[in-house]
Amino acid sequence: MELAQLLQRLCAAPGPSGREDAARDEAEKIVNELGLGPCQVTPLGSLLCTLKPGSRPVMLEAHLDQIGLVVTRVEEGFLRFHRIGGSDRRLLPAQRVTVRTAGGPRPGVVASVPPHLKDPDSDKPPRWEDMLIDTGCTPETAKKLFAPGDTITVDGAYVQLAGGRVACPALDDRAGCAAVLWAGKLLAEAGCPAPVTLALCSFEEIGGHGAATAAFAARPGSCYAVDVSFAEAPGIAPEKCGRLGAGPMIGIAPILNRTLTAGLRDAAAANGIPCQVEVMGGDTGTDADGIVATAGGIPTGLLSIPLRNMHTPVEEVELQDVENTARLMALAVMGGTK
Amino acid sequence: MMDLVELTRELAALPGISGDEGLVATYITECIKGHCDYKIDPLGNIIAHKKGAAPAGHTLMLSAHMDEVGLTVCRVCDDGTLKVHAVGGVDAAVVTGRRVLVGSKGLPGITGIVPIHLLEKEDAEKPLKLDSLYIDIGAADKAAAEKLAAPGDSVTFEPGWAELGDGMLMGKALDDRAGCALLVKLIQSDLPCDCVFAFTVQEEIGCIGGRTAAFAVRPEFSLVVETTTAGDLAGVPADKKVCSVGAGPVIPFMDRGAVYDAGMYRRARAVAGDNNIPCQTKEGVYGGTEARSVQQTAAGARVLAVSLPCRYLHSPSCLLARRDLEAEYKLLLALIGEFAG
Repeated sequence: MELAQLLQRLCAAPGPSGREDAARDEAEKIVNELGLGPCQVTPLGSLLCTLKPGSRPVMLEAHLDQIGLVVTRVEEGFLRFHRIGGSDRRLLPAQRVTVRTAGGPRPGVVASVPPHLKDPDSDKPPRWEDMLIDTGCTPETAKKLFAPGDTITVDGAYVQLAGGRVACPALDDRAGCAAVLWAGKLLAEAGCPAPVTLALCSFEEIGGHGAATAAFAARPGSCYAVDVSFAEAPGIAPEKCGRLGAGPMIGIAPILNRTLTAGLRDAAAANGIPCQVEVMGGDTGTDADGIVATAGGIPTGLLSIPLRNMHTPVEEVELQDVENTARLMALAVMGGTK
Repeated sequence: MMDLVELTRELAALPGISGDEGLVATYITECIKGHCDYKIDPLGNIIAHKKGAAPAGHTLMLSAHMDEVGLTVCRVCDDGTLKVHAVGGVDAAVVTGRRVLVGSKGLPGITGIVPIHLLEKEDAEKPLKLDSLYIDIGAADKAAAEKLAAPGDSVTFEPGWAELGDGMLMGKALDDRAGCALLVKLIQSDLPCDCVFAFTVQEEIGCIGGRTAAFAVRPEFSLVVETTTAGDLAGVPADKKVCSVGAGPVIPFMDRGAVYDAGMYRRARAVAGDNNIPCQTKEGVYGGTEARSVQQTAAGARVLAVSLPCRYLHSPSCLLARRDLEAEYKLLLALIGEFAG
C-alpha cells in the first residue's frame, strides 16, 4: 500500500466528532492490511492498536475526527443545521454535502440565498440558524428520510495538485492518522524495539477528550502526538506558520516534554529529514494538551504537518511532509530505546 | 435521439466561460449535424436552420446561451498561486474553498482562504471578497506555476453532476446548458414548421451573442430559453419565492432586462393551458435574459423568455427539476407551432 492511497482511503471515510465510526472502521481495516496488531475501541470511540505489547508503551497519536455539521430540524424539503467544531460558514453556500441518515448516506447542497432575498442593509454573511441544506426532496419525503441528529460532512474529491500536494476535506487530521499508521508500518518492518501503541482518537475538534481517555486506557510512558498546523499561504503572516514541503513542524511549548522535543530535532538532523519548529507560549491547542495531564502525567512531544486552508473542504498538504512525519516518529522511537 | 437529462449532464460538464465557448460549440455541432443547416457566426454563435413539416409563416428564433460564469487567471504570483478575476456575476461565497479546473487542459486547482482560526472575530463576520481570492495549483513558486498556467487561462468549477431527492438535477453551468440541451433536443425532433435556433456566446458579460445572432436571423418572434432564480427555500414568504422548482416552466411578463411582448405572453400561457403543461410566471421583477439584446437588434423583434426555475444560479450547484425540463420541452414544441406557424 502506498502512503498516498492510505491517506486517500482515510479521508474518504466520514467521521465528524462523536460519529467517527466509519473513519475508525476504515483505519482498522488498514491496520489489519498492514498487519500492525490487535485493535480495541475505547468507550468514547478512539481506536487503540497494540503494535508491540508491553508496559509503558510509546504512544503515537493523531485525531480521527473531523469538523462537520448536524441536522437540527427538518423543514419542508430542507434541513436546518448547526456546526460540529469550527467551520467557516461564509464558504458553505452551494457546497455539496452528504447526510448520514438511518437509511444510509444521502446527498444535499447548502442553499445559497438568492440575490433578491439578501438584506441590502447588512453585509454580514447569513447566521448559522438562517442557513439551510437543500435535499431536493418534497416535504413529505424529507420528513421520512431525515431526522435531527443526522450528521453531515462537506463533500470533496481527493485532488492531486502539482508537485506532491494533495487537497481534500478531513486532512485535519487524517494526514496525522496516516503518519501514525505509516510510522507503525515502518516500525513493524524495522522490528519494533519497544512497546508501541498507535492511537487514533475521537472528539478533538470539540475538546480533546477522546485522546485524554485513550491515553488513560493505554497508559503510555511517553507520547508523540501528530496534528496539522497552519502553512504559509496568501494573506497569512509568514511568522505565524510553517511552509508546505519543509517537513514536520516540531512543537516547542512549555506543556511539551523538552527531552522528547530535543530527541525529535536530533533524529531529524542525524537522518537528514527536513523539519521546522513551531513555538507556542503555553499549551498547543492539540490533543497533546489533554494527553500530558492524563493519569499521573505523560511526557509528550508534538509534530505538526503543515496544512493550508484548515477547516475547509480544500485542506491541502504535501505528501512528503506526511511521510517525513512518519519517518521522524519511527526514528525517534527507535533512537529513544538505544 | 438523445435523452434530455443525459444531454444536459454532458453539456453542463463542459468548460465554457464567456468568450471561451469552443468546446461547448463543438459538442453541440456534433449533436445537431444532419438534423439542420448550421453556420458559426463571427463571434462564435451557432445559428441553425431547421426544416419542419411546413414552411414557417413567421420567422421564429429560439436562443440559449452556451457560456457560463467562471474566473480567468490574471496574474501568476511569486509564491506560485494565481490571482483571478470573475467572468460574469460570481459571488465570492460560492467560489471560495472549491475545486476548480484551470486552462484548456483542465489542470486541477483549489481556491484557498485564510483559516478562520487566524482571523480576528470581526473579520470572520465580513463577507468573502473576490479581491482576496486566489487559486492554488500546487506549484511551489512562480517558475513552477508558469509552466502550468498563464494570464488569460479560463477557470471553471469542477463538473460535479448529481441527481438527488425527488427528481432533482444538480450541476455547474445549468445556466444555460439546460437551455442548450432543450434546443439540441428540439433540433433532433420533428417540428411542425421551420424554425431558427441560436446557441449564443457571451451572455453572462452583457448578452453580446444574442445581439449579433438576432441581426443575422432577423426574427419576427424570439423565444429565449433560459434558467431563472427560484427562491422557494424553506421559510421564504410566498411573495418572495418569485417562482418554484417543480412547478413548470416560467413565462415572465417582465424582468430587469426586458418588458416581454404582451401578445406572446398571453398566447404562450394559453398554449400551456391548452396542452395541460404546467407553467408559472415570475412573481417579481428580477434578473434578465438576452431578450433585451434580441429585442433591440436591427428593427426589433417581439420577445418572450421561457425559463427553467433553478435554485443557486451562478454557483457550482445549480439545481432544477427533471420534470420542469421535460415540461419545457413539450411547451417549446407547442410554441414553435404557435409562433412560427
